[in-house]
Amino acid sequence: MTRPIVLGSASSGAESAPSDSGLVTARDLARDYLMGKERVHALRGVNLDIATNDFVAIVGPSGCGKSTLLNLIGAIDRPTTGSVAISGRNVAGLPDREATRFRLLNIGFVFQRFYLMPTLSALENVELPMAEAGIDRAERTSRARELLSYVGLGPRERHRPTELSGGEQQRVAIARALANRPLLLLADEPTGELDAHTGAEIIELFGKLNVDGTTIIVVTHDEELAQSARRRVHMRDGRIVDG
Amino acid sequence: MVAQSFALAFLLFAQHRTIAIDDKLAADLRIRIGDRVVVSARPGGAGDTVIVSGILARVADPSEVAYSQYRIRMHLDQLQHIDGYDDRVARFAVATRGEDGTERTLSSINAAAFGFEAHRSRDIAVETSRTFQVVSRFHRAIGVITIVASAIFLLCIMLLKVEERRRDVAALRMIGISRTTVAKSVVTEAAALALLGSALGVGLGWLMSLTINWHYRGVYRTSLYFSIVTPSIIAFAVALSIVLGIGAGVLASMRLVRTPPLALFGR
Amino acid sequence: MRFALARAALVRHRPRTILATLGVAVAAAMLLDMVMMSTGMRESFRELLLSRGFQIRLAPKGTLPFDTDATIDSVSSVIAALRENPDLTTISPVLGASINVRVGNRAITSASLGVNPRVQGDYELLTGRDPLASNEIAVNEDFQRATRARFGDTIEVSIGYDPQTRSVTQTRKFVVTGRVRFLYGAANQPATAMQLATLQQMSGLARSDDASLFMIRVRDGANVESARAWIERRIPTVGVISIETAMAQVDERLSYFRQLALILGSVSLFVGFLLVTTLMTVSVNERIGEIAVMRAIGVARWHVVQQIVLEGIAISLAGAIAGLGLGLVTAKYLNAILSSFPGLPMAIDFFLFQPRAVWTALGLLAVSGMAAGVYPAWRAASLPVATTLRQEAIA
Repeated sequence: MTRPIVLGSASSGAESAPSDSGLVTARDLARDYLMGKERVHALRGVNLDIATNDFVAIVGPSGCGKSTLLNLIGAIDRPTTGSVAISGRNVAGLPDREATRFRLLNIGFVFQRFYLMPTLSALENVELPMAEAGIDRAERTSRARELLSYVGLGPRERHRPTELSGGEQQRVAIARALANRPLLLLADEPTGELDAHTGAEIIELFGKLNVDGTTIIVVTHDEELAQSARRRVHMRDGRIVDG
Repeated sequence: MVAQSFALAFLLFAQHRTIAIDDKLAADLRIRIGDRVVVSARPGGAGDTVIVSGILARVADPSEVAYSQYRIRMHLDQLQHIDGYDDRVARFAVATRGEDGTERTLSSINAAAFGFEAHRSRDIAVETSRTFQVVSRFHRAIGVITIVASAIFLLCIMLLKVEERRRDVAALRMIGISRTTVAKSVVTEAAALALLGSALGVGLGWLMSLTINWHYRGVYRTSLYFSIVTPSIIAFAVALSIVLGIGAGVLASMRLVRTPPLALFGR
Repeated sequence: MRFALARAALVRHRPRTILATLGVAVAAAMLLDMVMMSTGMRESFRELLLSRGFQIRLAPKGTLPFDTDATIDSVSSVIAALRENPDLTTISPVLGASINVRVGNRAITSASLGVNPRVQGDYELLTGRDPLASNEIAVNEDFQRATRARFGDTIEVSIGYDPQTRSVTQTRKFVVTGRVRFLYGAANQPATAMQLATLQQMSGLARSDDASLFMIRVRDGANVESARAWIERRIPTVGVISIETAMAQVDERLSYFRQLALILGSVSLFVGFLLVTTLMTVSVNERIGEIAVMRAIGVARWHVVQQIVLEGIAISLAGAIAGLGLGLVTAKYLNAILSSFPGLPMAIDFFLFQPRAVWTALGLLAVSGMAAGVYPAWRAASLPVATTLRQEAIA
């Protein structure tokens, strides 16, 4: 059986259903912010378990804490209290350098606004995380090409982001997120800036990724994207109310 | 006793000629009025014993400021005798009556002169101040280079400042603010900065001028002015900096207002 | 990849990058000129003093060579005294005087040096030969231009004037034997060289055994300062000037230029640094979102800083290299101004090109370019990732 190019774990792509092994474990997660003089409780004691190969959509009204939860899982923010473990490792208390390294090798991020480097080509954008991980040029170029092909942008590898449509940019962003074979793909409103048709293409791509073995957590307002996920977690006022 | 002292002093003075020395020599060798010294043409050679009768303040002569030589004044015949100069001098200085008198004197001396020439004092002054003309030219060249460099820096800084506010300007243009208004605000800001900068610069320049004078007067032991900040210099500096500031503002604003608002947003 | 990102960031804003590079180039040119000026005069003067290998000079006590009309008497006894020291291998006495040459109705005044041509260190023979006989004279180009004298011509040279008889005195005929370049000669100054004894005789009884200056060569391997001290003790009536003493005197007289060089050089470096810092700060502020994303996808803080610092260094180095050419041009221009100091030997350069000066200027600029980028880069790379991304999304 061929090893899917996108898998980060050792499991094969034939297993498309979530396994029993917990990949993400969040316990009593809380995050407070100071907005001027007021203290805002963005998350209030969230508990969440996500299994390997799962495809979870976190939904809820604006300001309910979805993106905050995603940021904590992705180790780009630190909780005020609580813990987040990914593959058994507590990422909540990691020093910045270790958290950065962990993100590089284990987490793939997809943002609403794509956030590609405007001065690099599509190929170079996908190579960026691999270059940071120390992979040699030949290998990373080959893998970048493979990833761009996978997301359907093989012929556009030399184009700059300004020369790509929104949907194409998001595909490149997804390919970049998969560069270092992450354990987990996190997407914050990945279809937020796209029209319905393009958004549907991205949703389809996420489905394909999950079938091929990628564990995905998306935060979204997009009902169609939420429906395409295996599991939906509803949040309100910083708490999980369902899921 | 008093009469005897006077008589002795008179005798001493009668026996020895007198000289005047400059204050630097007096200070360095601790010589006072009334002291006896020996002056000779050769070091260690036979010379004349003289009495120091006066101490001269050094004239603040720019052409001598860097030289550490001492000056003494003595009677002409005595110097001629000591130096073996016979009946010769290095120069004469002649005072005349009026411009016509100077002209006539010059002509008559030069017609009769052999082996020397008469010059106007101001022509000599011009000739001996060639050193300072060179220094002035050098300073002016440095000044020109500094102005060119400042103009480039100013333009670069204004360009950066203007680019920082692309989005703000784009938003303003979208809600209907005209290009002229945007350009005027940039130019006004540039002029204000230039004015403020030149005020600071004038203050700094004045302080530095004080420092320079204090430092070099101490080094060369002179009362000369090495640096002067005049109203005309201030006016020139302020005018130039405002012109350069406005120029930089105009160029930067032109770049900004020519770009369509959406392009300013990066779309 | 960091190089690629840095290069791309610079190319993205071409006018800004070009202007900043130009600004750094001007600062670099000024810095290079000041570094050259701070050492140039000294080194140029030292090279001149050592050009013929004479390490010690004797001048009338309390004066510098040819500063005044004073002379050293009893040349023969001075030479005899100097010969007592075996470390002093070559002794060249020189007498300076002013001579007159009649050309038609005019009298051309010229400087003249009485030398021993076999050991002299005052001129370089360009064409012809040294004035070896008592009636021979070597001249420089300015003299030839003023008098139209050519090789083999006989010219009448006088030293004194008798105002009573209205005639010149001490007149002699000389044959022009060679064209020379006086090492210590000022620009546009006619000058000649003849046998020392001839000039002494022409100068009259009072100067018949005088010299204005002695130049002395010390044996290879001997200690110059020891030789200088020995001469001072042996002949206390003369001033003994070693290269070091002469350099110290030059330093004192030209201290203004060295101080100016230091101040202007520092200001240039500071302004260049300020320019690059401002550029980097604006550039980084524009890319806060990109920087936060790089951090989010796992690029280490230090690598982000490196990339930005690379941009600063690139601008500084590009500006420095461009400034090198500009600096050499402005140095030539400034040197031409300062070289017209009256009485300054033509051979003295205020701005001497030395590779060390170039490396110093380049090195200083590279370091300042690096320093300029570090703070804004570090500050941007240290911003909290999540907050920054949110703020950028809102913006």
